[in-house]
Amino acid sequence: VSEKLSIPAENIEIVFGDTDKVQFGLGTYGSRSLAVGGSALVKATDKVIAKGKKIAAHMLEAADTDIEFADGVFSVAGTDRSKSFAEVALSAHFPVDYPLEILEPGLEEQAFYDPVNFTFPCGAHIAEVEIDPETGVVELLSYVCVDDIGTVINPMIVDGQITGGVVQGVGQALYEDCVYDPESGQLLSGSFMDYCMPRADHVPKVSVETHITKCTHNPLGSKGCGELGTIGSPATVINAVVDALSHLGVNHIDMPASPHRVWRVINEAGGAARPAQ
Amino acid sequence: MQSFEYLRPTTLTEVGAVLGKMGEARPLAGGMTLIPAMKLRIAAPTALVDLAGLPELAGIKSDGKTVTIGAMTKHADVAASPDVQRLIPALAALAGGIGDAQVRNQGTLGGSVANNDPSGCYPAAVLGLGATVVTNRRRIAADSFFTGMFETALEPGEIVTAVAFPVPSAATYEKFRSPASRYALAGVFVAKTASGVRVAVTGAAPCVFRASAIEAILNEKFSAETLASLRFPADGLNSDLHGDAQYRAQLVGVLAKRAVAKLT
Repeated sequence: VSEKLSIPAENIEIVFGDTDKVQFGLGTYGSRSLAVGGSALVKATDKVIAKGKKIAAHMLEAADTDIEFADGVFSVAGTDRSKSFAEVALSAHFPVDYPLEILEPGLEEQAFYDPVNFTFPCGAHIAEVEIDPETGVVELLSYVCVDDIGTVINPMIVDGQITGGVVQGVGQALYEDCVYDPESGQLLSGSFMDYCMPRADHVPKVSVETHITKCTHNPLGSKGCGELGTIGSPATVINAVVDALSHLGVNHIDMPASPHRVWRVINEAGGAARPAQ
Repeated sequence: MQSFEYLRPTTLTEVGAVLGKMGEARPLAGGMTLIPAMKLRIAAPTALVDLAGLPELAGIKSDGKTVTIGAMTKHADVAASPDVQRLIPALAALAGGIGDAQVRNQGTLGGSVANNDPSGCYPAAVLGLGATVVTNRRRIAADSFFTGMFETALEPGEIVTAVAFPVPSAATYEKFRSPASRYALAGVFVAKTASGVRVAVTGAAPCVFRASAIEAILNEKFSAETLASLRFPADGLNSDLHGDAQYRAQLVGVLAKRAVAKLT
């Protein structure tokens, strides 16, 4: 919105997370927030610009079709006559000299957007692990990922979402386990004393990079981001574990690859893990 | 949590009298185990006898041969004590590795020893160093103090007042943390003492115990290599969702080997 209207980001108020105040929407599932909600924002902003052109045309005594909008300024094509976005907005809200008979005052617009297709983010994730063959402990040494999520609006949020997702996936791959007593059906891992969440000291700094190929069918060019980390990391980490044990003939290990389970796999395969390279 | 009476006596005599008189009264030290157990209603004492009113139960004394630590001394204070660090560095390190910072600044030596959690760290040090548990009534050798899961030789009304640790010529503690709780899935304390090598194992069985087979090997020759071929027996060891008895046996062997390697 800031970029399209050339209005400083700090002048834009974001009404967040209050369904009583915002328009109808289906929610944030499916990594769709920016690809769907962002596209609706683009459409609504385009409507604001279109209406602004009509107001500016009246102010500048020109035809609607002759008005151009660029860098936050409405101008008559080929001339130096122009009105700023703020002047147009003022006129829209204080319609003293205003074509009331053909144009409603105000500069509010809303838009619905229904995606014509899914977006297809993709990426490559690489994990490096080291296994203690005597105890079965898997240590995650480094994690690098490059993801194509199309247009990036806020790199800090992208880094946080992907890092958080990766760590959640590491939890699934190495730590988190719902264990039930087969006799009684009692949940044995019923507290965080037994159900292991990934913690800060379990994971290295996740290196997050993006490679941008714009989505072709939405106006922002953005693709989903929220679930990329969790989708990528369980398979990546488990593949790294299996690779470290592949010389023993191991080609599968169940999640989570807990110390006990990894040791048993090594022990049953009858060997020691490959030395660190 | 169910309702209970709260008492804060200021003399040991009073403590003994109160505990003896009220059947379901429990002494309260750091409360790191008792309070959560009460919140879960696993424990429901009718009264808590808070030992915080006896400052003389906290503190560390040393004559060079023995380090005597008051029962109410917090883990963080043991870890930071220059005397403990100098004379029994393994004990300072062990105390510094218990729980997290909050637990270490609230939990006490006496509470840990009297509770005798199967995964507790302190019982391994007390047994491994051949320490003496001092109570308000007598002195109890470590070898006869820890009697079973959460069970000790303490009698009703008897509380731990201090533990006297003889200074070993060398000692170390190796712990394999449960990834979730960070309690010892297995912990091995190895000490070279005046009466030979002592090896105490925690976390692996219902109660801390001495690994006499490992002690015999190490008394013969104190080297990690001699333990390389050791297959520690899984009989009697715990099996749970974090590891079965075979895995714990493996951990005991590995930790013992690593401990000895550190000392040689």
